[in-house]
Amino acid sequence: MPENNNNAKKSKLRIKIIQPTRIVINEECEHVIVPGFAGDFGVYPDHTPLITAIRPGVLTVFKLGENIVFAIHDGFVTVEKDVIRIVCEVIETTHEVDKGRAERAKKRAKERLATQSEDIDYRRAEAALSRSLARINSITGH
Amino acid sequence: MANIRDIKNRIVSVKNTKQITNAMKMVAASKLRKAQEKIINARPYADYLDMMIRTVKYKNPATDNPFLCCDVSEENDAVSDVQQTRRVLIVITADRGLCGSFNSNIIRSANTYLKNHKHVDVVCIGKKGFDQLKKHTDNIIDKYLDFFNEMDFKFSRSISNKMIDLFINKGYQRIDVIYNEFKSAIQQNIIERQLLPIIPIESDVVSETDYIYEPDEDTIINELGEKYVDVEIWRMLLESSAAEQGARMTAMDNATENAIEMIDELTLMHNRARQSAITTEIIEIASGAEAISD
Repeated sequence: MPENNNNAKKSKLRIKIIQPTRIVINEECEHVIVPGFAGDFGVYPDHTPLITAIRPGVLTVFKLGENIVFAIHDGFVTVEKDVIRIVCEVIETTHEVDKGRAERAKKRAKERLATQSEDIDYRRAEAALSRSLARINSITGH
Repeated sequence: MANIRDIKNRIVSVKNTKQITNAMKMVAASKLRKAQEKIINARPYADYLDMMIRTVKYKNPATDNPFLCCDVSEENDAVSDVQQTRRVLIVITADRGLCGSFNSNIIRSANTYLKNHKHVDVVCIGKKGFDQLKKHTDNIIDKYLDFFNEMDFKFSRSISNKMIDLFINKGYQRIDVIYNEFKSAIQQNIIERQLLPIIPIESDVVSETDYIYEPDEDTIINELGEKYVDVEIWRMLLESSAAEQGARMTAMDNATENAIEMIDELTLMHNRARQSAITTEIIEIASGAEAISD
């Protein structure tokens, strides 16, 4: 939304998503839903200052007219008044998600978790599963 | 005086060399531009993490989190062998040569470092450093070679994960890095700095906001610390690769200049030789004609 009017009655939330290689977005929106460490939470303008880690999941940015959906894997959120900053290493828009690959990764991770053998790395398999789920959910809209 | 044909061959070969060095200069210039772009793109992320680390440290000055715990001081080296700090030294060089003193300067300061400290294990990033350092030390525990061409963040993260593992789980108390900092296309600075534990840069830019931490501060610091190391290593690799291209550009520019100078000299020599050959010929003809007319 280009109109940046200081007299606007309702304050808006500025969202900045920063990756090591680029700034993903830096714009204004209505509110954001973030997959936080302890569960999904919504951020509206005038939120309490907060720092939290992100778990793999779906990040939704609500803008007038259009919503932007991302699959996010890790990172941090800091909220400060009307600015929410997200720094993350891996983030994909729904267009960038390779659904077939995510489905295969999900299947593989599930198989690995199902086997009872000692020599598999459960943490890695679980992380892989949650990443693939984040990708799939970002497309299917859950 | 040298044979005319020999000189001519030399000129041709120097001209070829000149073409190669000139092309290398152009390539380095374009790679330098790309590397600089990457540095600029990484800046917001790095600056932001830096600010967060500083803020967290400022709010929790007495934290005993290993990432921020800075009780590993220089003086430790003076005390008995047993208590000495175990260190990792990361040496970042280039994979290729032909870039002036870029690699040798790094290797020299790495050797000085090895002389001054005991219990140092070395991690080599870049082929040139590994090739040289393996002659000087047996303590190379890891090496990452031949990747500067396709450098991406995933790769640098695999390095930083390894370093964090060494630091947190393998009992190393300190990790230092030696690398070339990109100052400008013609100037590189050798930087020796501590990567872990993290020393936040002293600065006034701390956010005064009282944040709620979720789940808790220690978890946040751990995550933040990991991300910080990730991006610091990424930044240093970018700096080093930009500096390498800069150094190569300068070296190749000099080489091209030298080649031009050499061609000029050889051409002069060639002309002289040709002239003296002609003079000799004329004298021979003249003296021959004289002999007949007598």
